[in-house]
Amino acid sequence: MQTEKTKFENLEKWEGMLAKCIRCGYCYEHCPMFKYTRWESDAPRAKNILAHGLLTGEVELTPAVAEKSFNCFFCKRCEAACSSGVKITDIMLDLRRDLVKLGYNGPGTTSITDRSCARCLQCVRACPHDAREFIDGEGIVVDPVKCKSCGICVEICPIEAITIPLSFGTDKVELEQRAVEFLHSRESAKVIMYACNWSYHPDIQNSRLPESELEEKEYEILVNLCGGRIDQNLLLTPFLNQAWGVLVGVCPDGECNHDGNEAAKKRVKRMKETLENLDINPDRIHLVQIPAGDKQLCQAEIDTFMEKINQMGPIR
Amino acid sequence: MNTVDIPRLREIVGEKNIKTDPLDLYAYGADASVYHASPWVIVRPDNTGQVQKLMAYANDAKIPVVPRGGGSGMCGQTVAIQGGILLDMKNMNRILEINMPDVYCRVEPGVVDDDLNAALKPYGVFYPPTPASSRIATIGGEIGNNASGVRSVKYGATRDAVMGMKVVLANGDLVTLGAHTRVEASGYQLHKLIVGSEGTLGVVVEAIIGFVPIPEFRCLGVANFDTLRDAGNAIADIMASGTIPSMLELVDDVAIKAVNKTMNLGLKEVAASLLFEADGKVMEAVEYEVQKMKEICEKNNGADLWYSFDAKEREQIFMGRKKLFPALSQFDTSMASTSLADDMAVPYSKMADMAAKIHEAAEKNGIVMTAYGHCGSGCMHTKIMMDTSKKEQWAGAKRAIAEIYEYVNSIHGTTSAEHGIGISKADAFRTEKMDSLKMMAAVKAALDPNNILNPGKLQQAPEDWVTATDLRYAVNS
Repeated sequence: MQTEKTKFENLEKWEGMLAKCIRCGYCYEHCPMFKYTRWESDAPRAKNILAHGLLTGEVELTPAVAEKSFNCFFCKRCEAACSSGVKITDIMLDLRRDLVKLGYNGPGTTSITDRSCARCLQCVRACPHDAREFIDGEGIVVDPVKCKSCGICVEICPIEAITIPLSFGTDKVELEQRAVEFLHSRESAKVIMYACNWSYHPDIQNSRLPESELEEKEYEILVNLCGGRIDQNLLLTPFLNQAWGVLVGVCPDGECNHDGNEAAKKRVKRMKETLENLDINPDRIHLVQIPAGDKQLCQAEIDTFMEKINQMGPIR
Repeated sequence: MNTVDIPRLREIVGEKNIKTDPLDLYAYGADASVYHASPWVIVRPDNTGQVQKLMAYANDAKIPVVPRGGGSGMCGQTVAIQGGILLDMKNMNRILEINMPDVYCRVEPGVVDDDLNAALKPYGVFYPPTPASSRIATIGGEIGNNASGVRSVKYGATRDAVMGMKVVLANGDLVTLGAHTRVEASGYQLHKLIVGSEGTLGVVVEAIIGFVPIPEFRCLGVANFDTLRDAGNAIADIMASGTIPSMLELVDDVAIKAVNKTMNLGLKEVAASLLFEADGKVMEAVEYEVQKMKEICEKNNGADLWYSFDAKEREQIFMGRKKLFPALSQFDTSMASTSLADDMAVPYSKMADMAAKIHEAAEKNGIVMTAYGHCGSGCMHTKIMMDTSKKEQWAGAKRAIAEIYEYVNSIHGTTSAEHGIGISKADAFRTEKMDSLKMMAAVKAALDPNNILNPGKLQQAPEDWVTATDLRYAVNS
């Protein structure tokens, strides 16, 4: 149904590129949001389809449509997989620019700060994308175009006043829960791996294996999207739940979009010290750096770590 | 239009497995075809019982149901042309059993092809139909479409791999078809009938599919030709020689130029290239096959002949073919690459003429078309590149496609080798299957008397494929 057309000044220039998207759907399997919900409307292709619909007037601009456009973790795996070279995130950023002008601010997966904020401004300094500023009378204001949903602000806030409203399974409470569930689910469970989506893990992506295949499963890969989100609790929880080890996968030096790998390195180092103080072998926690999309290296690193961990045995 | 009882659907699949927001409906209105039509509601069943209840409800209420897997179809098979319930099968994604002694696996329809192959790999076997879209295509969708791919010349299409299945019929009844055996001689082989039926006869809820050993050796060769005729003759001679290629691919000059233009790969700009591959457990046997194909290419004036067992070198040779898809999309800033008339199959001896006909029809009608494909199975792939914003380009495409299919029909080829019929190829399909349309309609009426299962597809699709639904493109002038 044709509705009254809204003007999208920034999005307009992408009309030709949106026609070039052949809608093959090769972007899905890489998208952490699609993998979490398995709804096509959460996949990158749907964002292109909606952008096209907004331009033609076939899609009415509603708060739900706007919110959808603020959902993305900017791992850009979709762009790497795109068979037509469509600049999916650039298109979405231009749509966001238009939406902000039209009075929509997300939040979707962009971060928000609640009223309990103590105005310490640590998040403003820590944001690698310059997306947070302090405005007198308003408090901390987030620019939803600049925010890349890396979650570094969430981790750094000392009073937990920052949240990402739509976490798609990357919220640390949920990650901790899933880690605990796995570790208690079977006798063979030994290791939790936190992987950023850039490292793109080698596990089966969108299907489920038969239970008989999973009986001996020794490790679980949990996608936390950016190493910058790793905090001490996330690292410690598995050890409090019988884990033999924890593996953290982040980007190589200089390749993380958010410098989250550097933050992760510090936290892993600190956790190693904690383990040492407890007389536990610090090698039970290990950080690996994996270039974007290198599934083979990721699997090789997991295999090496599992071998070491199996030699060490359980923590006594 | 019959209205859908949303609370009833909610009762069946639960709140979290239903979508009614216009934005979700719009997003689910598309696949990889040129079409767009929004369903009325999307439901995502989790188990067979729910599918049965949904079908029983839809049959009573006479509401269309469109089963959908990955949504990667290229002819509009999963576009809800008459609205209704879109049955998203992606939640039924369990690999139920890998049975090595009996050489089959049992899977739910939402299992993704690549995932199944990842699960089979530790056993040293693979599921062979593997279309190019295997990273997102589901087994259910592949069954609906009778999907195949580059290696189908040796290993067959989906229909060859399917041994049996469980299907929910239009009225909600559950039937078990086929057997857990490689062969079956009794009766109508109804599971094979479901393969390729594009969701018009029932909803597949479980499939029994066979697998084959992963070959230890692969050897890939390449040959360049100055004329399409020579390449075509080489294809026919290879297939007639008793050689068993595991892949035989043709790439034409338009495709080579497109790859060079966008990827700067520096491929030799000849009229046609052939890629030929053999695989197996014994290296000498594989080399024998490849050597034989090389000799046949030489005999047909093939040049720059080369082959290799080395994985890296094979990857390099295959790079041009792999980059073809994106290269065509980026061929020209004013053109989009559309999936139309994209997978006809013709007898081997007519491959060269088919490619020439495609070029001729494209030029005559002011569009750009390439010819490439899995020649070992007689399948020719094309893409139509055109300015999708212009009405005259659509008119040109329509004329070119009509001419192309008239030729396919005249040489006893078939409308679709891999991608199915859906909406875009229905007109040519009806002409090709003129003699069996009544039989097909009788089968459809017997299994789906209320015509609720994916209506408006195959023989039922509208006559004019351009106006069948809204086009997914903005056509301005």
